[in-house]
Amino acid sequence: MTDILRSERAAEELAAEHGAGDPFAAAIRATRMAMIVTDARQPDHPIIFANNAFLALTGYHRDEVIGRNCRFLQGPDTDPAAIEKLSAAVANGEDIAIDILNYRKDGSTFWNALYLSPVRGKDSEIVYFFGSQLNVSDKKRVEFELDDTRDRLEAAVAARTADLTQALQQKTALLHEVDHRVKNNLQLISSLLLLQNRRVTDPGVKNSLRGMLERVSAIATVHRRLFQSEDVERFDVSAFVRDLVSDMMGAARRDDIKVSLDLERIDIAASKAAPLALVISELFSNALRHAFPPESMGAAMDGRAGEILVRITRQDAEFRIEIADNGVGVGNSASSGGFGLTIVQLLCQQLKARSETTPADPGTRVVVHLPVNGVHH
Amino acid sequence: MTERPLDVLIVEDEVLLATELEFLVEEVGCHAVGLAMSSDEAKALACDLRPDLALVDVHLRDGPTGVEVARTIHDDCGGVALFMTANVKRLPDDFAGACGVIGKPYSEHGVKTALTYLTVCLREGQAPGPPPVGLELAPAYAQRWGLPGLARATG
Repeated sequence: MTDILRSERAAEELAAEHGAGDPFAAAIRATRMAMIVTDARQPDHPIIFANNAFLALTGYHRDEVIGRNCRFLQGPDTDPAAIEKLSAAVANGEDIAIDILNYRKDGSTFWNALYLSPVRGKDSEIVYFFGSQLNVSDKKRVEFELDDTRDRLEAAVAARTADLTQALQQKTALLHEVDHRVKNNLQLISSLLLLQNRRVTDPGVKNSLRGMLERVSAIATVHRRLFQSEDVERFDVSAFVRDLVSDMMGAARRDDIKVSLDLERIDIAASKAAPLALVISELFSNALRHAFPPESMGAAMDGRAGEILVRITRQDAEFRIEIADNGVGVGNSASSGGFGLTIVQLLCQQLKARSETTPADPGTRVVVHLPVNGVHH
Repeated sequence: MTERPLDVLIVEDEVLLATELEFLVEEVGCHAVGLAMSSDEAKALACDLRPDLALVDVHLRDGPTGVEVARTIHDDCGGVALFMTANVKRLPDDFAGACGVIGKPYSEHGVKTALTYLTVCLREGQAPGPPPVGLELAPAYAQRWGLPGLARATG
């Protein structure tokens, strides 16, 4: 008996079992879902039943499909991995749902959402495989388009990221270069002032040069600190004050004056760092130079030791920067030659800060109130 | 007993900075033995004059060659280099054999205190205490001079 004959026999048996009165068989014949049944007891599992929907989907006549294994639906572009999975499921007697590219009789292709499952007889032996086919070409096309779009987007994002990374690297290099130049130029300005100070003999000129050198040094100290922290936009005032005071005290060689620091950590915008640094430098320099005239340390100080206090605290919406000395007081001190105080006034205006000078009895206390967010409330 | 002053070589391509540095070096009791403005000059002078200490800027007339100068001074000339640079963060982790760095812009007082401090370190082989503000020691030298716990400071 030939295979075709055996398949026809099997088909007849199936049809006999599920005659015209069988509502389930009628449903399967009439449904719009393509369905086939293969004979698991024959070699190579030939198709023994195909409904009209299957024939409509694939373009074959019934007599062209009965007796054949359904692999005639596969073609050159069918994914071998999908075929592999399908064979494995059949060999293991398992059901499987898989999307696979199939070919119609006319050679055109469609995406088949295939569901294949074994049908077991009374003794649980597999007698048939039942297959249903759903044309999901539209869904697949959308999927492919989405994949394609996603790939293009990912490529675009990757390219953009590379551009930005490169731009950031260039910007960072530029920042380093500018930072380097600013620091070197500040060093150059300091050296110029120091060199000229070595040449001149006039005490008034020397004094002015010293004052300018201090101001340049204050700005230089700002720049040394500026890009050291992680956040290049914030500036740690307390760290700056420690550097500044250590430097000015060292340079002044006044071991008879004690400095106490009471510094709460406060951060200000980097753009305000230089003006505030100049204000603090002027005020500290003023106390250091004028509160304790060496020639009157005995008499005017009534024997007390010289002391300068720098205190930084945050109070609600403002920073409070206090510089107090226990020296000879405003009235008794030699005039600081108003330029330093003019600088303080002007810069406070710029910083929207307010400065108060009060007698500390003994000595002088200056308090600068700096608004935290740039405005006074 | 008066000790022999430290011989100091200045390696700096900005002549005004170099001139002012010479004054500072002399003011703290050291002896400025020479000035080099390029890496070739620096290496030649270092091996010729055998200074105790060389103050080395990273950017010289022939480019960012100061690091290489420091390495030569350490490896071949038996001297000790100290970097003076605005780019402290770009120095190699081992400081190319140099003992430390003073960040630019430095102050007159900062340089003087650092030189006085290093004079003691070099003479005694032992640090008189933690380094002054503005001077950062290389880990190897901090170890050698008895300051093992000194981590590389960043702020």
